[in-house]
Amino acid sequence: MLWRVAAQELTLPSAPNSVKFAAMGDTGSGDTEQFDVANQMARFRAKFPFDMVIMLGDNIYGGQSASDLAKKFAQPYKALLDAGVRFYASLGNHDDPVNRQYPPWNMGGQFYYTYATKNVRFFALDSNKVDQKELAWLENALKSATEDWKICYFHHPLYSDGGTHGSAVDVRVLFEPLFVTYGVNVVFAGHDHIYERITPQKGIYHFVEGASGQLRKGDARRSPMNAKSFDTDMSFMLVEIAGDQLSFQTISRTGTTVDSGTIQRQARPAR
Amino acid sequence: MSHAPLHPDKRRVSGLILDYLIALPLGCAVALAWANTLPDSYYRLAQATSFFVNEVGMVFFFALITKEVAEATLPGGALHPWRRAALPVAAAVGCVMVSIAFYLAFLQNVGEHMLMSGWVAACAVDIPGTYIIARLIFGRHPAVPFLLLLAISADAMGLVAVAVLHPVDDPRLALGLGLMAVAVGAAAVLRRRGVKNFWLYLIGPGMVSWWALFLGGVHPALALVPIVPFFPHGKRDPGLMVDAAPQAHDTMTMFERWWRLPVEGVLLLFGLVNAGVPFHGLEEGMWAIPVAALGRPIGILAAAGIALAAGLHLPLRVGWRELVVIGCTATIGLVFALFFATAVMPPGPLLLEMKMGALVTVAGCVPAFVAARLLRVGRFAR
Repeated sequence: MLWRVAAQELTLPSAPNSVKFAAMGDTGSGDTEQFDVANQMARFRAKFPFDMVIMLGDNIYGGQSASDLAKKFAQPYKALLDAGVRFYASLGNHDDPVNRQYPPWNMGGQFYYTYATKNVRFFALDSNKVDQKELAWLENALKSATEDWKICYFHHPLYSDGGTHGSAVDVRVLFEPLFVTYGVNVVFAGHDHIYERITPQKGIYHFVEGASGQLRKGDARRSPMNAKSFDTDMSFMLVEIAGDQLSFQTISRTGTTVDSGTIQRQARPAR
Repeated sequence: MSHAPLHPDKRRVSGLILDYLIALPLGCAVALAWANTLPDSYYRLAQATSFFVNEVGMVFFFALITKEVAEATLPGGALHPWRRAALPVAAAVGCVMVSIAFYLAFLQNVGEHMLMSGWVAACAVDIPGTYIIARLIFGRHPAVPFLLLLAISADAMGLVAVAVLHPVDDPRLALGLGLMAVAVGAAAVLRRRGVKNFWLYLIGPGMVSWWALFLGGVHPALALVPIVPFFPHGKRDPGLMVDAAPQAHDTMTMFERWWRLPVEGVLLLFGLVNAGVPFHGLEEGMWAIPVAALGRPIGILAAAGIALAAGLHLPLRVGWRELVVIGCTATIGLVFALFFATAVMPPGPLLLEMKMGALVTVAGCVPAFVAARLLRVGRFAR
């Protein structure tokens, strides 16, 4: 793995036929700072034409009416929506379950769902309440996935050094055995209002990006599993997958690159 | 089989209550310590054993509670005749409605929308816990059976809501209903033939009833609720939550004597499996159940006021001051709130928030004692 840090520039290869997407979590405050992050995403899209965004939950805080959805989602990300970027949401504890029906979030009315693009399969999961039905569905979906990359995302992080919440161990004991067994490569989550990259756990890369609209300054703690954290401003992630390489760049609200690197896909047989 | 009731002062508090005071807190304490030191192993164990404890073991806890209710309908019991229960039932309706309103309003206010589907847990009033506090405050006083009837009624409403609104996945209703008819019919036949051995009721109708509820999508922990009333019993109620006389050998009494120790183990395991919540990292939603409980005195007083205006009567020696203390005591949700939470919410962070809220309601004993002291009620009257 190669890590490098640069500022205010694109570090990703932006190859022509790669899978390009953005990741953001804990967004929907409707505050100026959320708009700042959204504008930064639109600015970087000029250099890195991602066509999808994964949403890591707590997509709308407070009121959940149609006007709230407009104020806290449609307006901040108008430039991206107008450009045809598709958003794929997972829900957090602050989201109204009814919003899984909200068409721009492409959830198809489901709490958990899967979709694929090129050699990458995404699994948007519900970490709020994990019943046997979801676990059975997940096992079946992971087992039948034929793509090279398996990426799972949901709200509560299985590993986190966030001082406010930290690792959701009760969810970890449910999801992780399946992730390990069926060769999940990367996991994205939110909930803690910081950015954190975790050292690989049981062969899986974990990212916490819960600071795209909310921030808890100074909330990141240091622990042996902490590879990199950023808790002084809001942020979002850009991710590119080309062949067996996943490159990522984490960008602050002001456009500064706070983390970047490349992950080489490990040949992990899916049983 | 009949027997002369002992003088009230010589009757012992039910073994169920004594077990509750020892086994449950022990299980809860171990769970809290374990979950906060070695969470991986705790959650693995809790999730592997929760079905056995919550849906099999708790069958016998609810059976013992049902036995108390069934006996209360006998002559001398708090539910005999049935109209005596009218006012506590009315108070329970107010208790439940205001609790649910407080629960939903609080979650709306803090923006924890995902937790709203767990509103049934706001109905839960802990029967053994409220009994213990009521006995400590009131001693032997009509307020105690009033509170117990209120608690039983509120929980019954919650259990109906659990059964109707939170069915198990893919219920096979017709099969479940058919099997339940067989179970109840078999229990009635056993009773008609004068069968006194409670094992025959458990192995036959009890097991069929468990499968009926399981297949029908209703929580199977309630399997013995429709069966226990068929057990042969004494002619008079020995009293709510007190042991029967030593010479009593009716089926209900024998059932309670045999199952007391196993239920002690069940309560210990119930605390161990369900009470392990992290002290750190939970969201504001954990306060939803305690906030809901705060609405209970209001709901109880309002409903009692309406019921009195409609012509119902309070028991002798129970007035508004006693009702305030009853309302404060009814804020304890503990075992029933934990049970309802696990029944309506799958594992995950939301369930942990609900469980923590259920545990916090134990603090309801403090306002109960404070209110009793301020209003000079029960032991504070002198």
